[in-house]
Amino acid sequence: MNAIIVLILGFVVAFIGYRVYARYIDVNVIKADPKKATPAKMYMDGVEFMPTSRNILYGYQFKSIAGAGPIIGPIIAIQWGWLPALLWILLGAFFIGWVHDYASAMIAMRHEGASFGGLSHRLISPRARVILLSFIYFYLLLIAGAFGNVVVSTAIGLKASPMAWLLLTIAGVLAGQMIYRWKQDIILTTVVTVAISLFGIALGSWVPSNAVLGDALANSRWLWAICAFVFCYFAAVLPIWRFALPINYVAAYIVFFGLFFGIIGIILKAPNFTLPAITTFSIPIGPLWPIMFVTIACGAISGWHSIVSSSGTARQLESEVDARPVGAGVMFLEMMLAVFALIIAGTIFTSAADYAAAIKLGPAGVFAKGVGQFLNVLGLPLDVATSYGSVMMIFLAITIMQLVIRFMRVATSELLSDVSPVFRNAHVGTVIASILGLVLVMTGWWQYLWVLFGGANQLMASLALLLISAWMVSEGRPVAWAFYPMLFMFVTTIAALLYTSYNLLVVKVLSGAVKGEALIGNTFMGVVALFLVVAALILAWEGYKAFRRFRAARGEAAPSKA
Amino acid sequence: MAEDERKRTGFFQAVKEFVYGVAAHDSARFALKTRASMEHLFILITMGDMLGVPILPPYYSLRLLPYVVPQISTWKRRMLREKDLTDALA
Repeated sequence: MNAIIVLILGFVVAFIGYRVYARYIDVNVIKADPKKATPAKMYMDGVEFMPTSRNILYGYQFKSIAGAGPIIGPIIAIQWGWLPALLWILLGAFFIGWVHDYASAMIAMRHEGASFGGLSHRLISPRARVILLSFIYFYLLLIAGAFGNVVVSTAIGLKASPMAWLLLTIAGVLAGQMIYRWKQDIILTTVVTVAISLFGIALGSWVPSNAVLGDALANSRWLWAICAFVFCYFAAVLPIWRFALPINYVAAYIVFFGLFFGIIGIILKAPNFTLPAITTFSIPIGPLWPIMFVTIACGAISGWHSIVSSSGTARQLESEVDARPVGAGVMFLEMMLAVFALIIAGTIFTSAADYAAAIKLGPAGVFAKGVGQFLNVLGLPLDVATSYGSVMMIFLAITIMQLVIRFMRVATSELLSDVSPVFRNAHVGTVIASILGLVLVMTGWWQYLWVLFGGANQLMASLALLLISAWMVSEGRPVAWAFYPMLFMFVTTIAALLYTSYNLLVVKVLSGAVKGEALIGNTFMGVVALFLVVAALILAWEGYKAFRRFRAARGEAAPSKA
Repeated sequence: MAEDERKRTGFFQAVKEFVYGVAAHDSARFALKTRASMEHLFILITMGDMLGVPILPPYYSLRLLPYVVPQISTWKRRMLREKDLTDALA
């Protein structure tokens, strides 16, 4: 099949989903009211609660939700064939993804901009709040591990990327200094720092890491893992304007240019899918159901979006009717990004054997090769274009990873400061988060790590849908549109995590099939998966009790027919 | 003609806002959050009485009160609002 047909199919699904289904729910079920004062207006503090244009929020939401996730998931999942992956992306976004993002913003808006911890306390139970916050810590840890692995495998597989990473760091720190200390013009700062970053990409392709460090060091997983976590350490302990934010600012332009011109390249080249539409039901990481449904998380449905929608976007929407373009609209845009990644993986290889050889080294190589080919259509030399693709991948991963380690530092302080005051120390929290992340990166098999990250992500989505369903039941509104997606996601994700945990703990660890470092990684990942399952089951039980409570309360409130 | 001009301006304005949203809105929010945290800490030290935290003798608080008045309602709401880890995430 031709990639253009797939792109058109994606646009049709997005159009119908946004204009018909999302509009129906928005108007008839949620009844978004443009006259109702939003939390941004009611509690305007000029900081968190601030009415903001929906165009700005569209960009903000997109930047906050679209990281490496929607790109890597489809590249891995194409091992089952491009057709099941495509169907899951389109149907997942149509029936579940936008529902989750949009309703997360609406539930927070209708509850005075409360965050998910507060909402679970209010709608489900006090215990639900504690479990949710502990769950989020392990969720963040799996993001750090999965994205750390992407950074390490990219730095090893694509030798141009470390130099670009180094120059991005310099450019980012310079951007922070120019904006906040030297008070320079933002346009001048942007031009200078983005130019330095682009120079870093070119320099990386002329002077690859093995030419500077030698083959042994350039191929050392330890070296790049330590570099990644040292980078994250600075991001976590320095003031956010000094390191993390300006680096993200500069990286956003590099990624944005690459995606924009890459999509133009696809349209101009109009390639055909060369990989098979369907391969087999079961591949080395597991069967199509449930594993594929957690391998592709972002792009179809992702729990991360609910956190952004509730704690970030909902507090800035100036009208309730803006929730549909921002919540649902951006989800469909991310769906198109996942379709773009699927086209890359499905069209650039001459045979399935070529793809199999490339994916063994990690998804970053596949993405870089694809971006390289499509940017080459626009006239960029192939080696520089491939370097650009590898740099995009490393930027997408490291910019999320640095923020995650920073949040884990905050979470450590929040969860453990009552145990001992030492956990309030920023360095202690950061070191704990970095060590745990490092263990995952160095000892875990990346495909299982990605499945676990996807599982935690989807479980977070199930919990958000549970909250939304509880809200609908509490208000006596139609609930099927959120309840059935929640049920599907819950069953699928629990099955995926149990399957992965069984594979890790029983098949690999207890049978003695793995030893040394892999033993630590498999045990650690297996235990984390089990913890997530137990936490999710407790939350489901609490949610079930809340449903019954709301139903009973509504039954009592209803007038008697006698 | 004027309608076309308005549409074109509207489109470019929307693109400009989208790019700002992608690239810089997050940075602006974090900068505001940092400044607000500092200001609110200062108000807590000087006006803690209002929340039942007697920190500074009332005489000095009263001297500072006129400068703090515009922010008191925002400060109270921010101090007393339930917060958790997810607030730091977005």
